[in-house]
Amino acid sequence: MAAKQGAAATTYSPKIMARTRPPIFKGSDLDWTRPDGRGFHQCRPALLQTGAVSAASGSAYAEFGNTKVIVSVFGPRESKKATSYSDVGRLNCNVSYTNFASPTLGSQGTDHKEYSSMLHKALEGVIMMETFPKTTVDVFALVLESGGSDLPVVISCAGLALADAGIMMYDLITAVSVSCIGKSLMIDPVTEEEGCEDGSFMMTCMPSRSEITQLTITGEWTTPNINEAMQLCVDACSKLGEIMRDCLKQAASASDE
Amino acid sequence: MALVDSSQDLSAEMEVDAFRRLFPLRFFERHLSESLRPDGRPLGKARDTIVNLGLVSSADGSALAKIGSTTMIAAIRMEVMTPSLDSPDEGCIAVEFHMPPICSPTVRPGRPADEAPVISKRLSDIISSCDMIDLKELCLVSGKAAWMGYLDIYCLDADGALFDAALLSAVAAFSNLQIPVVALNDNGRIVAINGGQEENASIREKEAVNKEKRKLTLKNIPFSLTCILHKKYILADPTAEEESIMDTLVTVVLDSSDQIVSFNKSGGNALAGSSAIKSCVELAKKRGKELKEILGEMDID
Amino acid sequence: MEIDREDGRRPNQLRPLACSRNILHRPHGSASWSQGDTKVLAAVYGPKPGTRKNENPEKACFEVIWKPKSGQIGKAEKEYEMILKKTIQSICVLTVNPNTTTSVIIQVVHDDGSLLPCAINAACAALVDAGIPMKHLAVAICCCLADSGYVVLDPNKLEEKKMTAFAYLVFPNTTLSVLPEVEGEPVEHGIITSVTHGVMSVDDYFLCVENGRAATASLSAFFRKNFQQTQGAV
Repeated sequence: MAAKQGAAATTYSPKIMARTRPPIFKGSDLDWTRPDGRGFHQCRPALLQTGAVSAASGSAYAEFGNTKVIVSVFGPRESKKATSYSDVGRLNCNVSYTNFASPTLGSQGTDHKEYSSMLHKALEGVIMMETFPKTTVDVFALVLESGGSDLPVVISCAGLALADAGIMMYDLITAVSVSCIGKSLMIDPVTEEEGCEDGSFMMTCMPSRSEITQLTITGEWTTPNINEAMQLCVDACSKLGEIMRDCLKQAASASDE
Repeated sequence: MALVDSSQDLSAEMEVDAFRRLFPLRFFERHLSESLRPDGRPLGKARDTIVNLGLVSSADGSALAKIGSTTMIAAIRMEVMTPSLDSPDEGCIAVEFHMPPICSPTVRPGRPADEAPVISKRLSDIISSCDMIDLKELCLVSGKAAWMGYLDIYCLDADGALFDAALLSAVAAFSNLQIPVVALNDNGRIVAINGGQEENASIREKEAVNKEKRKLTLKNIPFSLTCILHKKYILADPTAEEESIMDTLVTVVLDSSDQIVSFNKSGGNALAGSSAIKSCVELAKKRGKELKEILGEMDID
Repeated sequence: MEIDREDGRRPNQLRPLACSRNILHRPHGSASWSQGDTKVLAAVYGPKPGTRKNENPEKACFEVIWKPKSGQIGKAEKEYEMILKKTIQSICVLTVNPNTTTSVIIQVVHDDGSLLPCAINAACAALVDAGIPMKHLAVAICCCLADSGYVVLDPNKLEEKKMTAFAYLVFPNTTLSVLPEVEGEPVEHGIITSVTHGVMSVDDYFLCVENGRAATASLSAFFRKNFQQTQGAV
């Protein structure tokens, strides 16, 4: 007890976390409602904006419901890590969380190693690395608030930021995830849904070329479910691609004026 | 072609952008001699300032402050702690200033910026020394429980005058702070009363410990202004470019009654004489009034 | 109009100063500086070839490493490092040794108030000992503001705790030669570094600055005497 009274007293949040599965997910009825009242195959409204950070070569802000993300792109610039000559460029990704990103995270919010490497893998297929030899493009993401489907939002936002920075790419990059709960598939899940999912499915694709750069499936899935999820994601990605295209067009016409 | 020996002569033939990059100091000095800055501001004028409250839904109080392009987001999370023995009826505020790699090309992941801990320290010094918050208001149960306010400030875009923007966002976040209503449960822990959940039904019947204390009273609000001293010029609210070219920065923090809370100058080529100190204080007073108005507008809605 | 100090000093009387240079063999320059019971050791290594992080093709770089008496380095020490680094950069001639790094290591031996000014003075003496080209010296002083509105110089730890506000001020040393005036003020009246804690009125701040300035004359004289002595011995 004595230790508790020191200067660095241990603290706890007075909010009670729901640890059990919310009752709405227990049944198998089809008339469940999602916590935010969406349909199962409906994405959250997306707010996208380029040029959020003036200090960066390119940047974007994305808000999908409560998930709020900023991505900055720096470069192509000198490689800081002492490495040998390379005639293709390098990509360096980092994803971090703010301390207030989610109520459960507490002060743990720092670098997210897993997401950093996933982001790297998702992006390296779409960037024309040979256009910036010897140099590095840095893609840094900060999750301001985590409200579910964080990684897909980070990846889509990074795609937009890369386009804003004028980095050569084969196509825009979009990512969408699907959660499987019981027999139902839910696209673009929120944190509560992700917390009680049986399986998750995330796809990163180039919407115009219909090519996939990354696909992750975890948990229990049946083959028909995978097919359905894939179809859902492809559709959602092409829609998201349209929104991103509009956003970039708007930014470009605004700067022309 | 005749050899051009000084950059002064070159300036006539060179494109403005190239001149700005090659001879930044001379570029600025030519602007200053016309009492104007490259972004069109007069010397003593600060950039447009915007404050937005309550953007972070997961926090108890939050604010976004924007001075020009410099953007700060501040959020406060309230947690419960056991107060220390020497001050059993006081809470605590922990301030942390972060510079994530997104904010500036000079910050790299895994290598925190040198400025970040220094700004954290100065912010917490100022918040405690000017008595902005009465720590006794953070008391829940004397000797047993008090609030610990975690104030996290993230720099989203670094374009000069970081300290000013950070302090402004911190003040705005405190003005936005809504302390959760809590009660003491049977185990001696403090739990929040948020209507709607059945588990809390038993707690709701209990008396809330802090029914009336939902807002903190901000007794004394500090405002700051950073100025650059360069030769005989004083530039208020510098951008990152100006900070990198002219290195003498003076940060003046004044409280509501125009007393000096901090007068900070760390080195730099220019020395601050009495008249320069006076001018900086005057500029800070003017800026304080502006910021008070900006925050005042926020409180109405 | 006198305020009583526990150790019997007058308000603007400094504690006894002591400085010895070239006390360590390995560093290129070293000095110990004490004001009363506060004692700080400073060592200077350099100029060395610029490291990757501190590379600057036009200017010399400085790094300051602060070693507390015990325990780990915290935010306060980081702030001291930054203040010291910027102060040193402003008094040294940076263009003579471009693309080099000079390390200044500060070891706190004992803290009895006015720690940062003491460290700045120590660093300054060590830089002179290492032969780093400098424009002028920096003379640092701590001014405290007591409840009653008096200014007390060079406080010890006990006094520091009781004071409402204090200011660490760094001035250029007073010179014997005639220097041009800046806006009607001698150059040595300009402040290099100012760090304040606590709330004070603008007039009180100027009172601190004035008293601090007055004290720098005696500090400068001490510096000069000390440097002349060692030169004579060699």
